[in-house]
Amino acid sequence: MATESSESEEEGKITGGNQHLIVEDDLREMGKKAAWSVSSCKTGNGVSSLRDDNLETYWQSDGAQPHLVNIQFQKKVKLQLVVLYVDFKLDESYTPSKICIRAGDGFHNLKEIKTVELVKPTGWVYLSLSGNDPRETFVNTFMLQIAVLSNHLNGRDTHVRQIKVYGPQLNPIPHQPFQFTSREFITYSTVR
Amino acid sequence: MEAILTDCVQNSLRHFMFRNAIFLCERLCAEFPSEVNLQLLAACYLQNNQAYSAYHILKGTQTAQSRYLFAVSCFHMDLLNEAETALCPANEPGGEIPNGAAGHYLLGLIYRYTDRTKSAIHHFRLALSIDPLLWAAYEELCVLGAAEEATVVFGEAAALCIQKQYSHHGVTSPNLHTSNEDYNLVSSRNFGSEDVSPRQLKHTQGNNLRDIPGNYHGAAGLSGAASQPQNGGPSNMPFYNTPSPMASQLSGVAPPPLCRNVQPNGPNLNTVNTDGSPRSVVNSTIQAPRRKFVDEGKLRKISGRLFSDSGPRRSTRLAGDAGANTNANTTAVAGNGTNSSSKYLGSSKLSSVALRSVTVRKGQSWANENIEEGIRNEAFDDSRANMTTTSSSFPSGDVKSLDQDRATVPIGGVVISSSKIISGASEVLGLLRTLGEGYRLSCLYRCQDALDTYLKLPHKHYNTSWVLSQVGKAHFELVDYLEADRTFSLARRMSPYSLEGMDIYSTVLYHLKEDMKLSYLAQELISTDRLAPQSWCAMGNCYSLQKDHETALKNFQRAVQLNLRFAYAHTLCGHEYVALEDFENGIKSYQNALRIDSRHYNSWYGLGMIFLRQEKFEFSEHHFGMAFQINPRSSVIMSYLGTAMHALKRSEDAIKIMDRAILADRKNPLPMYQKANILMSLEKFDDALKVLEALKEYAPRESSVYALMGKIYKRRNMHEKAMLHFGIALDLKPSAADVATIKAAIEKLHVPDELEDNL
Repeated sequence: MATESSESEEEGKITGGNQHLIVEDDLREMGKKAAWSVSSCKTGNGVSSLRDDNLETYWQSDGAQPHLVNIQFQKKVKLQLVVLYVDFKLDESYTPSKICIRAGDGFHNLKEIKTVELVKPTGWVYLSLSGNDPRETFVNTFMLQIAVLSNHLNGRDTHVRQIKVYGPQLNPIPHQPFQFTSREFITYSTVR
Repeated sequence: MEAILTDCVQNSLRHFMFRNAIFLCERLCAEFPSEVNLQLLAACYLQNNQAYSAYHILKGTQTAQSRYLFAVSCFHMDLLNEAETALCPANEPGGEIPNGAAGHYLLGLIYRYTDRTKSAIHHFRLALSIDPLLWAAYEELCVLGAAEEATVVFGEAAALCIQKQYSHHGVTSPNLHTSNEDYNLVSSRNFGSEDVSPRQLKHTQGNNLRDIPGNYHGAAGLSGAASQPQNGGPSNMPFYNTPSPMASQLSGVAPPPLCRNVQPNGPNLNTVNTDGSPRSVVNSTIQAPRRKFVDEGKLRKISGRLFSDSGPRRSTRLAGDAGANTNANTTAVAGNGTNSSSKYLGSSKLSSVALRSVTVRKGQSWANENIEEGIRNEAFDDSRANMTTTSSSFPSGDVKSLDQDRATVPIGGVVISSSKIISGASEVLGLLRTLGEGYRLSCLYRCQDALDTYLKLPHKHYNTSWVLSQVGKAHFELVDYLEADRTFSLARRMSPYSLEGMDIYSTVLYHLKEDMKLSYLAQELISTDRLAPQSWCAMGNCYSLQKDHETALKNFQRAVQLNLRFAYAHTLCGHEYVALEDFENGIKSYQNALRIDSRHYNSWYGLGMIFLRQEKFEFSEHHFGMAFQINPRSSVIMSYLGTAMHALKRSEDAIKIMDRAILADRKNPLPMYQKANILMSLEKFDDALKVLEALKEYAPRESSVYALMGKIYKRRNMHEKAMLHFGIALDLKPSAADVATIKAAIEKLHVPDELEDNL
């Protein structure tokens, strides 16, 4: 059942989680064009479980904290939203608790852009990358790193069942400075 | 026993009891193994969709019919090489193709699908010359872009051909001959054999005129009209658009053929109007006034000037020859011109008239007519050749028609059968002429002309699903989606089971963003036929409209699976791949579509778009150019071609093309916007602003227009105006990315341009 996801005022604590993944229309999933890697994993629970659209399979880390998920793109992309599926009821001490999202050009210059603390999450957790400034709606970057700094109940390793990364929709008309909004423009803008 | 079994099998086939037929036929073949029986068995298998069985039993047979059936089974099993060798053995290059027209048609299809377009065209043309009513061959020629004008193809020669086919009507032969002679006369007189079509057209015109007068004549004393040269009378009607001189009289009254308002000329007209079909009243044998009508239209289009001459000619001739009758006819015709009658003439009348004339001409059984014809012919000879032909026909026709009008008994009783054939053939040909011309024009993407041609059809035929979907398709190509929507929904009401053209309808609804209608259409189509590619195309469009591109892609792939030769499904797959940014597969899909139909301009456009995104501008320009060659009237393609040229730094050409696009379709705001873009990058800010101001009129709620204007004002340091426009742009709710860009631009409004290179 869908529970509300709420964000408390102090330091970005997030509780609960949505059962259903709902994103706005003007976002599209960008993960397919990226190279995904993890800092460590148990055999059989590797990085592919993060991207298989199957909530039964999960990635299990197998090393020292922090556990890292690295998402590398071939060119700079605009990213707006990161969504994770984690479930305290199923994973208990494996559930991530403190997550830090970093972005940069590569491993050498990652900079933290967001840190959140999850409190017993049970479902999809939305982590927006936008700043307060309208100019900072997107993060334009080559690489994104999701770092699990600590787990619930001080667990060592972590389970994450699914991760999705969203950015803005492509302009359907290439080489246009702005996207079209009115029906007259859109009707005439393509041949189908 | 053999005879009984054969009879049983054929009976079962006639009644669609295939299992019975197959069983009995197998017994027949076991008992009396012969090639004929084998062919019968193969026919049973083919009817029962068991092409593979037919393939196996016929493998290696040599008789013509067996080879044909074998080729058909190979074609169904997609073994095109074997089919080709069966029809046209490699070691017998001069061998006869079995089954004449059908064999040529099949061979043409094989060549078409193996990319040998020239041979395909050659064979389709041969098929048509052998059997002029083989519409499918003409259709293929149109699709390949190599069709001759329908009037030529479905012209007099065709009529003669059909006549010959039915020439077992011995009695009528003399008549037939006469008719033939008539044609010959005409041809020889007027032009040479080549001019059959125009001649025919004229004839028809004349006929129409004649018929009309005849009709009128019979019905009402249209004496008044007689004097008026009815040149274009009948013809004019249908061609309300065409300015044929003939139409002078009728043009006034020529509403679209579909309207049957021809009233004024008395009963004849009325009758004609009512049924729109050939004036059966007048001519018992006139079946397809439409045909004439069509011919008229064609004639009109083709030889408008001819008509003009003919018009007066006709009237004069009519007056002269037919005397009162003819005059009456002319008057009738003339009346038509003046009255709505002409209109009606146009539509059905013309056809009827034409028919009549045709019949008359053809059925020269009528002795008098022959004589008259002769006279007429002479008379006509001096006048324009065309005219003469028609005129001659007219007089005869008129006379005949007159007779017909009054007399219930056709004059040429004996020849009725033969003349019936002739008239029947002429009617059919007339109908096919219009349809063929319309189809050819729409394949050449001369959509407005195609629409006009289709409008010449009589109501009965226009309101069928095939014609309506073609009309809808023409509107779609003209980017007139609302009209297309209306036409297609009418087509669906006419025949809700028909799937022809429904894929285009779903695209129209996609463009209009009518998701309710689109999903309803898709559901209906799927429930009608789950195995038709059009249904899955509609379903895919539905998902695509909701931005669920993956599911849409699956649906389009299903459509492809159902029919590998359905080019549009491949194109739609390509569009979905592009939406999912899978450019490689997109390119493959588009190329598949082009392999099937190289004149499918949507695929060329799709490839151009991919290359534009990938910044391979030369490729992009080449592909847009190919699309443009195929469909030179599409303003959308022109504007993209311009964009590609601009990216190649050929901005002058780009602007020229944009202007053409703007002229081509006033309702399309895109070329203006692109032009402003180009002007801005060329730093011609004032021009750009002018264009954008004009554009504001067309699309007042388009945020990108204001955003672009704001940008230009910003570049010119007119900060207040820039601010104003950015504000309006934001109010119009642009996409999130644009909101960010615009807001960033606003923030940086007071920063000098050199410092910020973002906007």
